[in-house]
Amino acid sequence: MTERSKDVVVEKELSFGPVHPALIEPFRIRLFVNDEIVEDCELTINIPHRGVERLLEGLPVERALLITERVCGICSNVHAWNSVRVVESGLNIKVPDRANYIRVLINEVQRIASHLIFFGHAFEVLGHETFSMRSFLLREVFMDLMAYIGGNRVMPSVPVIGGIRPRADLTESLKRVILERVDDFEKKYLEFVERVVADPLVMSRLTGVGLMSKDEAIKYHATGPTGRASGWDYDVRRMMYEYKPFDFNVVVLPEGDNKARVVARALEVIESLKIIRQVVKNLPEGPIVNRDWVPGKMDFTTMYFETFRGELMHSYSLDSQGLIRGYKIRTPTPTNLAAMENVCIGDHVTDAVLTIASCDPCMTCCNRVEVIDSGKTRIMSEIEIVRKYGWRR
Amino acid sequence: MGLKATARKNAIHAMLIYAVGCNGCDIEVLNALLSPRYDLEQYRVLLTWNPREADVLIVTGCVPWQMAEPLKKLYEMVPEPKAVVAVGSCAINGNVFKNMVGEIGINEEIAGPVENIIPVDVKVPGCAPRPEDIIAGAVKGVPKLMEAP
Repeated sequence: MTERSKDVVVEKELSFGPVHPALIEPFRIRLFVNDEIVEDCELTINIPHRGVERLLEGLPVERALLITERVCGICSNVHAWNSVRVVESGLNIKVPDRANYIRVLINEVQRIASHLIFFGHAFEVLGHETFSMRSFLLREVFMDLMAYIGGNRVMPSVPVIGGIRPRADLTESLKRVILERVDDFEKKYLEFVERVVADPLVMSRLTGVGLMSKDEAIKYHATGPTGRASGWDYDVRRMMYEYKPFDFNVVVLPEGDNKARVVARALEVIESLKIIRQVVKNLPEGPIVNRDWVPGKMDFTTMYFETFRGELMHSYSLDSQGLIRGYKIRTPTPTNLAAMENVCIGDHVTDAVLTIASCDPCMTCCNRVEVIDSGKTRIMSEIEIVRKYGWRR
Repeated sequence: MGLKATARKNAIHAMLIYAVGCNGCDIEVLNALLSPRYDLEQYRVLLTWNPREADVLIVTGCVPWQMAEPLKKLYEMVPEPKAVVAVGSCAINGNVFKNMVGEIGINEEIAGPVENIIPVDVKVPGCAPRPEDIIAGAVKGVPKLMEAP
């Protein structure tokens, strides 16, 4: 809750959640409403807390992959890949080129699937079920591709330390299938986007609502398509060596309203298709995994990564036996939601849930603990809590 | 088949409770029930968000302690006869969050699996289970509804 609510007298408080028809995921929204205008908004995001960072403490680094992949089911590959990148960078493990290409491929496939889920969710909140169903139908193409490449629709688990799983190697026939499916998808997708943009009802609901300026985006650290839709030109993919061989544009839009956030993702899908085609056409030959490494002592290493929602951080160290110490994950959704909490103030109450959904929230990754210490709310990580209060509740 | 059973068979309402897993099973259930590819609605299995309307309760996720009480309440709200389908490894045995622990021994954040909190009739294993399996699981719960007086 912002400081503002202390001075404003509100007529009514609307409170949803944690289980509510309007919210698929468990979180709580309190909207303070005056004459149908949102005066203040409060989000509670600590319900899906599973203690992932604490679970990882003392696990062998090879097994960490199993848990980090299950942090989030929509962006599973992102967490798996970034947890692997940390140890690769810390212990100087060389990753073969072919493995890097296939990692990029599965990441972009999942990025498109994630953006299409966002359209499904946003249009459902908007009340346009046809568009929602169509984007779910389009998404099936990429779920199939993930099943072909990794063997599972949701958890492809492609990266392992030093390369990729042998199961995920691309054969010639699979390359052909990917290109065919992507071409077919692009045709259908462009038709779908044209329909959405030409729909006056949908566009009038989206345009000019939930305005976020560039300064606000930087202040709240709203990264990813959410920040780029406000004109903040920031993409971690530019700094990642894995993405160096590929040619793609970073979509930056100046408007900063809900429409921009939808359109930014729609354009990013097309950029991802470009990367997928480049991967399949330029895939180098060679080994796919480098097994020439031993787990050993590693200092704290931090790696940043551009997920589908924004900037992701994984950081940990290894002790002399190769066990994980001090795992820290920072996901983009908490900062994006903090921005949205402020952005929806001043708008009509019917648009508030749409504005919050427009940052593509994924509540499972927001595993922060809220501590109320003598009336003052503070958000802490698990490690801080354990240091201060001990593990037992 | 009696009148009640006919009526029930023609409108089975499934409610999805997302008891905090990783979102994967959750979206697969939505895929199975709603999406045009696996469309369960064509067999008159409808997704509802109202526990008082529901016949089949689909629970996903490993149930942390914050969700245990709401889950119990929601289960009590569902009128008899009812069937509970636990979807995914998390709902069945807690998956990595309960079983693959490092040094802490027991993960006290998690009150689940679902069986500890409410009785479960059908289990659909997998991480995440395929939509076909979820459909098969939801159909397995139907006889319990039909046989009830």
